[in-house]
Amino acid sequence: MASKKIIPKKKIQTFQDTIFNLQKFWAKHGCSILQPYDMEVGAGTFHPATTLRSLGPKPWKAAYVQPSRRPTDGRYGDNPNRLQHYYQFQVLIKPSPSNIKKLYLNSLMSIGIDYKDHDIRFVEDDWESPTLGAAGLGWEVWCDGMEVSQFTYFQQMAGIECNPVSVELTYGLERLCMFTQSKKNVFDLVWNNEGILYKDIYHQSEKEFSKYNFEIANTDNLFKIFDMTESEAKNLAIQKLSLPAYDQCLKASHVFNILDARGVISVAQRAEYISRIRDIVKDTGKVWLESQS
Amino acid sequence: MSEFFLEVFTEEIPAKLQSSARNNLLKIFRDFFAKENIEIRGKEKAYSTPNRLIIHFDKIKKEIIKKAEEIRGPKTEAPDIAIEGFIKSNNIKKKDIFKKQTDKGEFYFFKNPKIKLKTHDILEKNIPDILNSISWNKSMKWGQYQLYWGRPLKSILAVLDGKTLNFKYHHLNSSNVTYIDKNLEEKTKLFKSFSEYQSYFKKLKIIIDNNFREKFIYEELKKISLRKNLKIEIDKNLLKEVTDLVEKPKILFCSFDKKFLQIPEEIIILTMKYHQKYFSILDNNGKLTNNFFVVSDNEDSNGYIKSGNESVIEARLSDAEFFWRKNKSQNMVKQVSELKKVNFFKGLGSYFEKVQRIRKLSGIISDELLISKEKIEIASSICKVDLLSDLVGEFPELQGILGGYYANAQGFEKDVCLAVSEHYLPIGIDSKIPKKPYSIALSLSDKLDSLVGFFGKNLKPTSSKDPYALRRSATGIIRIIIENNKKFKLRDLINYSANLYNQQELKIEDSNLQHEIGEFLVDRLRNYMKEKEIRTDIIESVVGNNGIDNILDSYKKALNFNKVIKKQIGEDVVFIYKRASNIISEPIKKKELEQMSNADPGLFKNEIEKNLYKKIHEIRKFFTNVANENEYQNMLIELASSKKEVTDFFDNVTVNDENDAIRINRLGLLQMLCATFNNYLNFSKIDNG
Repeated sequence: MASKKIIPKKKIQTFQDTIFNLQKFWAKHGCSILQPYDMEVGAGTFHPATTLRSLGPKPWKAAYVQPSRRPTDGRYGDNPNRLQHYYQFQVLIKPSPSNIKKLYLNSLMSIGIDYKDHDIRFVEDDWESPTLGAAGLGWEVWCDGMEVSQFTYFQQMAGIECNPVSVELTYGLERLCMFTQSKKNVFDLVWNNEGILYKDIYHQSEKEFSKYNFEIANTDNLFKIFDMTESEAKNLAIQKLSLPAYDQCLKASHVFNILDARGVISVAQRAEYISRIRDIVKDTGKVWLESQS
Repeated sequence: MSEFFLEVFTEEIPAKLQSSARNNLLKIFRDFFAKENIEIRGKEKAYSTPNRLIIHFDKIKKEIIKKAEEIRGPKTEAPDIAIEGFIKSNNIKKKDIFKKQTDKGEFYFFKNPKIKLKTHDILEKNIPDILNSISWNKSMKWGQYQLYWGRPLKSILAVLDGKTLNFKYHHLNSSNVTYIDKNLEEKTKLFKSFSEYQSYFKKLKIIIDNNFREKFIYEELKKISLRKNLKIEIDKNLLKEVTDLVEKPKILFCSFDKKFLQIPEEIIILTMKYHQKYFSILDNNGKLTNNFFVVSDNEDSNGYIKSGNESVIEARLSDAEFFWRKNKSQNMVKQVSELKKVNFFKGLGSYFEKVQRIRKLSGIISDELLISKEKIEIASSICKVDLLSDLVGEFPELQGILGGYYANAQGFEKDVCLAVSEHYLPIGIDSKIPKKPYSIALSLSDKLDSLVGFFGKNLKPTSSKDPYALRRSATGIIRIIIENNKKFKLRDLINYSANLYNQQELKIEDSNLQHEIGEFLVDRLRNYMKEKEIRTDIIESVVGNNGIDNILDSYKKALNFNKVIKKQIGEDVVFIYKRASNIISEPIKKKELEQMSNADPGLFKNEIEKNLYKKIHEIRKFFTNVANENEYQNMLIELASSKKEVTDFFDNVTVNDENDAIRINRLGLLQMLCATFNNYLNFSKIDNG
């Protein structure tokens, strides 16, 4: 019989298994596996386990899933690629280890991507967050043209120079799973082996939150809330309570994002709001750093 | 002679940093060799891959000889401690030093004997300092190290003549090995020569030489296109970028669903180029196809890479398609008032206000171009609406172009759509310019409005900075005028434009605007002519006596004169003028002649004077009757044709007649001649010969 190339049928890795596997992988490499921060944030970076912990001299290794909200990216559940609520898997290691690229590539193995079969590319993407007063150098990692992760060496956080330098890895879980499960629509992702799909869990919330973010949110109230959280943050920084102060920063940031989605912030105002958030983050960062020495 | 090669291995260096980094690395070593008198006999080359910067000198001097020299130490009366320090720091003994008188007093000296130094030793000692002098446009720290580098530095390979150069650089020790696998940084291999190094990687299909790599990709792209009977226009910048993103290029021929070809092709091309670094492919009629090339950094043995890239672009294009559908159906006219929310520039109003000004300005210009005022006003009103659209948010470089597409989708007239589409043109040296009258009017109005606004706020460009791209706007105005053969009363338009600002109560300083913008435009005109390789003296001879209302005229005169300056006509014209002007220059200085004197035919003494006088009048008549504006060549021929009369005059008539009235009259005749010539251009600025 002529030899036939047997292509082994790949078992689909579910969304939840992808999370489990990343957690296992990074736990094995010494990271504390944390839980998501219990507030609305725009990205895994905002979790205090990344922002605050990247400051100061103490070594730190952590990994966690972070639900992230970007109100302006909502599409009422109609777009196959965009969501206002999605998941990031976040790893932060301080100081950055010299074999971090190898660790990262092996972590991809653990979720079903064999880098030897793919075109893995590290494409420059220097990162800056004006609201966090943060900047880093690094790459977006491409797998066959698809951005699957962000790989960043933090240089500055809350306006303070990082020393030692942390490395941050951020995996976009939906994108990664769309890639490994070969799905063109995020809502078709397989969540678990019981037949539950991403849409069963999130389609309704995408619809409702898009409506809320774009049409319903009471902007007068939100403007007031912004001012309130800002002054609370300032007061807490004076009281040297860095973590509670930081919570207020997160609140302010999220409120700003909703206002932005509602289209009530002009270009000129935008810059002003961002700098107001950055100012309270900076105050908080200073208080935190003092607590670390 | 020795071979020297060095490789610094890092995590991926961004494409745009690589070429400057490799060249800089080469330069700092070249400079060092020059400083140390280490002669370079052979080739010197720098190469890079995303992870490696390599420099290679194939022949440098093995050793250098340092001449004997006397080293001065402290003064003889200096305290012992200083003298001991001198002995210690030079690593010598007390008996080696001696006293010597100089004009600054008596000092201790010691004599450094003539020595031979090995390049090997010099390099080992100095490489760390040389590496420290490398400059990065952007650099970073990592881990707990204090070293700044483009991206984390992992290993340094340094070999001279097959031997390792051993040194410590921050936390790293140099060696003769490097990582083979750029991803895991595990396997290493030892190298003794550059050729060994290069051929080893060649076997792994890794092309170390970036120039080869670029050529390889270029040729593959061409070859495959040809084979598939398709066309490719390779974007040079993209090619360079992609070359610096891969080390073992593999070209994959891919495609996307044809249905996306309904999206404006500029969007598809940009999406592929900017976001994905793909090369778009055309059919033989130059139309975009649904094929594209991916330059992969890995073999695609399972087909994963091709299919992965294909689904990525489809996801991107479906996003673009969504916005395209949404944006093109948003009524442009209804959106005009939303431009109030978009700031043009602080103090210069919103885009809504800008559009109102452009509308009026283009209305005036439409009179000169004999086009419909109503249509140009419509085009002006909607020309900035695309700034509100998601697609322009995503692709700012498509502003205008997308506006044109939206207008077309909403049934505006073709002229109007084209005017909107082209009103930012020209945007670079090679860019096309608006050619149709509606496009010209809109483009000109937009640019003039910006120039007037920014100059009125005293935000003029400086020699190094031009943040509002005013130079580009001014060059655009020059090109639109010249390349379309148009004349505009720019001075009036500038005044009118300034008034429009003031009517909107946007205060701008307008007292000196005409003059300042005039100078600025003239400066751009100079530059434009320089690029056309017109001689500098000719440029200066036209920009002086022609205002900005005559840009086209100035340019054509200069261009035509430049064509003949080395020919008989040109030489004759210059010769005649110079001869005449030399004679009258002294009397003008002495104020014997007035600036604009005329000869009195009644005082002529002979036919020769009369002939010259007649000739001058002939020329003047010719100039005033030039009907066709393209008769610049004929004008020059006409000037040159006075050679006979002028030569006769100089050969036979003595200017310095005893009779002062006759003398002055003859000088006046020559002055008439010069003035006539200056009607063409200011010949006094033309260099002799």
